[in-house]
Amino acid sequence: MSDTIHPIAAETAAVKSPSAARRRWPRELVLLIVIIAVTAGIGVADPGFVAKQNLQFMILNSVVLSLVALGQTLVIATRGIDLSVAPVMGLGAVVTGLWAQQFGFPLWGAVLASLAMGAVLGTLNGVLVANLNIPPIIVTLGTYSIYGGIVFIYSDGVQVYAVPPEYATFGNASILPFLPIPIPVVILAGVLGLSWYMLEHTVFGRALLAVGNNAAAAYSAGISCASTVVRTYAIAGTLACFAGLIFVSYTGSATVMTGTGDHIELQSIAVALIGGTAAAGGRGNLIGTVMGSLFLSVILTALVFMHVPPIWYSAGEGLMILIAVTVGMNQSRAGGERT
Amino acid sequence: MTRLEQSTTQASRFAVLSSLISGWELALVVALFAVLGGFAVGAPGFFDGIGGLLQITQYFLPFGLVAMGLSIVILTGGIDLSVGATASLSALVMAQLWAMFGLNIWLAAAVALVLGGLLGAINGLIVTRLRTEPLIATLATSFIYGSIATAVGGDNPPSGFPDSFNALGIGTVDPTGLIPWQLVLFAVVATATGLLMGRTSFGRKVVMIGYNSGTAYYSGIPVQRVLLSSYVLSGLTAALAGVVLAAYYSAARSSMGDPLLLSTLTMVVLGGVSIFGGEGTITGVILAVLVLGFLRQGLLIAGYSDMVTTMVTGVILLGSIAVKNTLSTRRNLLRARLRRWRTPAHSPQTNPTVK
Repeated sequence: MSDTIHPIAAETAAVKSPSAARRRWPRELVLLIVIIAVTAGIGVADPGFVAKQNLQFMILNSVVLSLVALGQTLVIATRGIDLSVAPVMGLGAVVTGLWAQQFGFPLWGAVLASLAMGAVLGTLNGVLVANLNIPPIIVTLGTYSIYGGIVFIYSDGVQVYAVPPEYATFGNASILPFLPIPIPVVILAGVLGLSWYMLEHTVFGRALLAVGNNAAAAYSAGISCASTVVRTYAIAGTLACFAGLIFVSYTGSATVMTGTGDHIELQSIAVALIGGTAAAGGRGNLIGTVMGSLFLSVILTALVFMHVPPIWYSAGEGLMILIAVTVGMNQSRAGGERT
Repeated sequence: MTRLEQSTTQASRFAVLSSLISGWELALVVALFAVLGGFAVGAPGFFDGIGGLLQITQYFLPFGLVAMGLSIVILTGGIDLSVGATASLSALVMAQLWAMFGLNIWLAAAVALVLGGLLGAINGLIVTRLRTEPLIATLATSFIYGSIATAVGGDNPPSGFPDSFNALGIGTVDPTGLIPWQLVLFAVVATATGLLMGRTSFGRKVVMIGYNSGTAYYSGIPVQRVLLSSYVLSGLTAALAGVVLAAYYSAARSSMGDPLLLSTLTMVVLGGVSIFGGEGTITGVILAVLVLGFLRQGLLIAGYSDMVTTMVTGVILLGSIAVKNTLSTRRNLLRARLRRWRTPAHSPQTNPTVK
């Protein structure tokens, strides 16, 4: 977005780096340790927190956010931002939910429909960013209101309150009777694996990071910046819309406010940053993102157990973003990857 | 405010920008008349004499107030996403001081403005001291301010302010009911902002930082101090908008500031301010405030829902930048070709950025 970090920052980095150059722990490991510590700590005080049901709830609860945030991570890695993931997720939930509720649309069709819708909307974002040269924050703020309007007009005040059993199974049941892992968690693991492989081991992934690191250099190196960016936004849209389907299958309900009401766009940015993705682009930590949303889910549930009024939850998220970004910045400087 | 660019006409790049921007302002004037004329003909009830037209401004001038402060931040190359939360929090603190502690409402409003400045200062300090990207910093503070606002508001946020105070939101200066107080307030704030950005060294520093903060730093401009001031000003105008909104509704709610962000950002960008900073005028933003404000109200009067109006706002936001980008790249390309033709040794660099 904007470059307010300039020579002064570079100087500080140069002064700081020798003392801070020692190896740091990977962010995802730190998060995992914190998650286990918090869970154990609260669990000692209130055994209900570590009950199997609550643990499963916390994990399942983070899956939807994780899916959205994985796409967000890729977008942030290109030095962009996608605020429209919230209404795209809402659209995925409301449209597939209404189809299922009103005329029993089959699950496989809903999966395809959500993927296709998300891809189209995401591609539109990408084209506006890459081909019309509009800054990502403006594009996605604009499409946020446009897509939000589409959800509003399409649903026309009708809510999703019941989905066919097929969907409920898809959203809640375990993968195998003897293996207590819910299907959405398995899907998340698959998406994480695929996107990790794509980011770290494919030409497209490297191009994505190159564009995020230095678009001009990437362009000069022969990378097609525009198509890389368009594809990244398309992936983010697809994942967000698919997350909407998972949401409606898991909860069995969806309204116009799904996604936008919970500020999923801000949460997804928050967990991406908490997970160690650099806001300045060029680096994406997908495993960190999933850990980040699990962390957020655990913390929010912990707040409930500690009887903190819900109005303070978003303040907590805000503080977490600030801490994560401040810590992340020192870390990236110390590593000498960016100046 | 084109004088801002006029004095740097030696730099030919600025000359191009300045001619483009004055063209942009002209386009906005045309758009304003088109909107007014279109709705006067197409939407019965929109044009109800000059007085009626001035009354309509009460619906959107709080947005204009926010747009003034936000323009300054965006001109530095930053952004302030916390304007909505700042407006809500300031208004609620004012309301609670009045309701719970029996403070004079005007005194409470003054406290709210100071608070707005302080909240802006917190944003500015996070941006300058913690070196956080403005987008992330103000995103985080908007969460925090929003939570505090909800907490301050409690279950039953205060309402029913004295009529003398409510006049700020719905009253008129003259007994005949022609000129709303809001319009006077906006005129004062807009003029002050225009003068600040166009005629003072502060304004020049802001634009220079936005244009190239590194150069500004090495030219001896106190970058951090100017940045901090710009966020303080943004917080201040957001708080002012919150106070005006509270007077308008005669109530304060924690969700009151929520719709501010998208519309004001659209106004600033439609006004010709580059989202990357360093380019744009307050005149343009003032015009954009009027264009977008009348357009939104016109659509609502014509019977479109709030959601459709918001969608249209989004489309305008994207469309205006797309048009502006297309225009400026065309011109730059033309200039680049001319320059190449004149001085072959000095080949121009095309800018391949994707943003």
